[in-house]
Amino acid sequence: MELNSYQQQAFDYQRPNIEKFSKRNWFWIIFYLLWIIAGGYALYLQIAKGHGVTGMRDNVVWGLFIVNFIFFIGLSYAGAIIAGLLHLFKVPWGKPIVRIAQMMTIISVIVGPVFILLCVGRFDRLHHLFFYPRIQSPMTWDVMAVLTFFVGAVLFFYMAIIKDLAVYRDANLKIPKWRQKIYNILALGYRGAASQKRHLLISQNLLALIMIPLSIIVASILSWIFGMTLRPGWHSTIFGPYFVVGALYSGCGVLIVAMWVYRRMYKLDKYFTDKHFVYLGYIMLALAAGYGYFTFSEYFTHWFGSEKWDSELIHKLFSPGEYGWWTLFANLFGILLPILIVAIPATRKVNLITAAAFIMVIAMWIKRYLIIVPTLETTLLPMQDTRTEYVKYAATWPEWVLTGAGIATFFLFFTLVSKYVTVVPVSGLEEAEPHFTHHPHHQPAPKKEEVNPA
Amino acid sequence: MKKINLINSYKQLLLLAGMLLLLGSYNSSFAQEDTTQPPATDTTTTPAEEPPAEEEEPSLISPSIDFTSVQKGDNSIDLKVGMRAKVKGQFINLYKMKVSFFQVANEEEIPLGFKITDGNGKAVFNVKGDSLKTDAEGKLQFKVVFAGNKAMESAEEYISFRRGRLEIIPVKEDSLLTVQVKLIDVGTGEEVPVKETAVGIFVKRMFLPMKVGEATTDENGEGSVEFPNNLPGDAKGNLTLLARLDENETFGNMEAAVVQPWGVPVSDKPEAQPRALWSSHPPLWMLITFIVLMLAVWGHYIVIVYELFRLRKEQPNAPTHATNS
Repeated sequence: MELNSYQQQAFDYQRPNIEKFSKRNWFWIIFYLLWIIAGGYALYLQIAKGHGVTGMRDNVVWGLFIVNFIFFIGLSYAGAIIAGLLHLFKVPWGKPIVRIAQMMTIISVIVGPVFILLCVGRFDRLHHLFFYPRIQSPMTWDVMAVLTFFVGAVLFFYMAIIKDLAVYRDANLKIPKWRQKIYNILALGYRGAASQKRHLLISQNLLALIMIPLSIIVASILSWIFGMTLRPGWHSTIFGPYFVVGALYSGCGVLIVAMWVYRRMYKLDKYFTDKHFVYLGYIMLALAAGYGYFTFSEYFTHWFGSEKWDSELIHKLFSPGEYGWWTLFANLFGILLPILIVAIPATRKVNLITAAAFIMVIAMWIKRYLIIVPTLETTLLPMQDTRTEYVKYAATWPEWVLTGAGIATFFLFFTLVSKYVTVVPVSGLEEAEPHFTHHPHHQPAPKKEEVNPA
Repeated sequence: MKKINLINSYKQLLLLAGMLLLLGSYNSSFAQEDTTQPPATDTTTTPAEEPPAEEEEPSLISPSIDFTSVQKGDNSIDLKVGMRAKVKGQFINLYKMKVSFFQVANEEEIPLGFKITDGNGKAVFNVKGDSLKTDAEGKLQFKVVFAGNKAMESAEEYISFRRGRLEIIPVKEDSLLTVQVKLIDVGTGEEVPVKETAVGIFVKRMFLPMKVGEATTDENGEGSVEFPNNLPGDAKGNLTLLARLDENETFGNMEAAVVQPWGVPVSDKPEAQPRALWSSHPPLWMLITFIVLMLAVWGHYIVIVYELFRLRKEQPNAPTHATNS
């Protein structure tokens, strides 16, 4: 594979990252593995003793697992939309960050559905979803949608790295033979011939074109699991776009945080410049405004309508004795904070934008909890002689440990992928180079613009 | 100085609270001891010979037997038993209890057989009527006995009724359906019509019988009720008609049944469901949309994978350049 000087420079700079694991890498990998082992023990307890070890009961049948599923799968959809748009519109500044977006897509689509499997009570009947599907059920739509999306995400990621795999194959990397072989097989004999470039570009364009609407549809289908149900707080016509914007918003936040971590971890200030953070900050601001608008519209409509069960739910969400403080946190730190940080020029700095994005991501996780649990706790029929724990949900330690294990898996995959594939796509910078040449402000990181890792 | 005073007063408060807590726990521990060991003063006032109430032998459970009979149209008699007992203030059904049945005739008890009560504490014993002989008054007397066990006392119950016969005759004249009943006293061996007695006409349904009307017998012991022609029946339109005399002072319970094709046939097989959101057949538009969407996406995937395979085919013979660091 032939590389131009700028690509070669980018590859040489990242070469050590994929050639060896540092001590710090190993430390984090072991730390994540310990979490996963603890999760394995919690899973063993859940299998041996049944779902009674979780806080889920007759009424509140969904808890942390479904919150995590929605959170992670949302990140995946967001990654696909962002990567697809950056590719299709050939956004020059987006070239270096497209790989992280694609990594987020594929890692999240692996981690997210695992939580569904953890939540399923009758695992032995899982195949019924495929053998006896009910086309009218949003559950069936979601299963089909997630599977279809998963295949698309794998293809999308794979096609995006083929050129880089060819680079690694030809680069005489100091890596074990088996890795060399895998690079050789997966590169599919790509040598950069004109016909090969054309075929790859057609495939990539075609897939990017389908992944964007597919992500929007599957995110909407996920929302319809709730929206199609006659329950207070769920039965809403705006749930489709609400979930799409929510997914994009939290995805944007994770992208900023991941970019910041990689920038520090591999000293990639040259490629993940301050401008990337600011531009993504602007996108985050726009999405925060959109998400805030949807949230206000949703709460306001339910409050104004004063329907009995809606009113009860709104009361529950806003009263300090129940979920009031969480609602305040989710909206204040999940919506207002990122807007203020990015809108005020004095705070529009890399670290502050990242901090706002990080807090926003946590707030968005809490927001998912507030969408699911309080609604399930608002029973439509009066409950008599029922134990409190059957109406009120409280997550148990196995649920928290499994949640931690899921997050650890997410981080573990991010660490591992960055050890096998360069975080900044080498060949992806191909088209960007002339642009960088013509526009001095896009030159590969002049020294004065570099931001030292804090 | 004020701050110091405040801190000191807080410390004093904490100390006081701690002492109160200690005192509380000390008292409560004594209170627990009090309940297990009565104080010495109490023992002097209570006579030592008098055993405490808890040490009394537990009394045996006294079961109660509900004993009824049904004289049936096929000349047999159902002897029905329901056993229950009051335990800790609540009635419970006594299941798996052996109850023995006897006919009592001329102060002689003829054993008929036994039954074990079911989960609801009930048992039904069917006696063929042909072999039974009435007493001088034309009555039959039966006895049911529960022998008792380690936990329960024995129990017995009697029932006595006059021998009778209830007949049900379905009559169809043109489109008019009528159910005729005939009530006859056969206690003395002769057939004597029973007049001015109300007999209920029912149709057997899934759970309890549904009452259609009530026939009052005339001097011939006969009565009739018009029967509706729009009741849903089984797949062949069959209905089970019942004539019932309930809790009669003389005859007890009597029942006669007949099956007639007087109902509207209702298939027991599920009907073909329409295409709807609720049925097992999805609406056509939904199915088509689903298939089209899936085909569109997976079709793209197939094209893309095909394009990827072509990459390898179109590989130049020799590598162009290899990048080295």
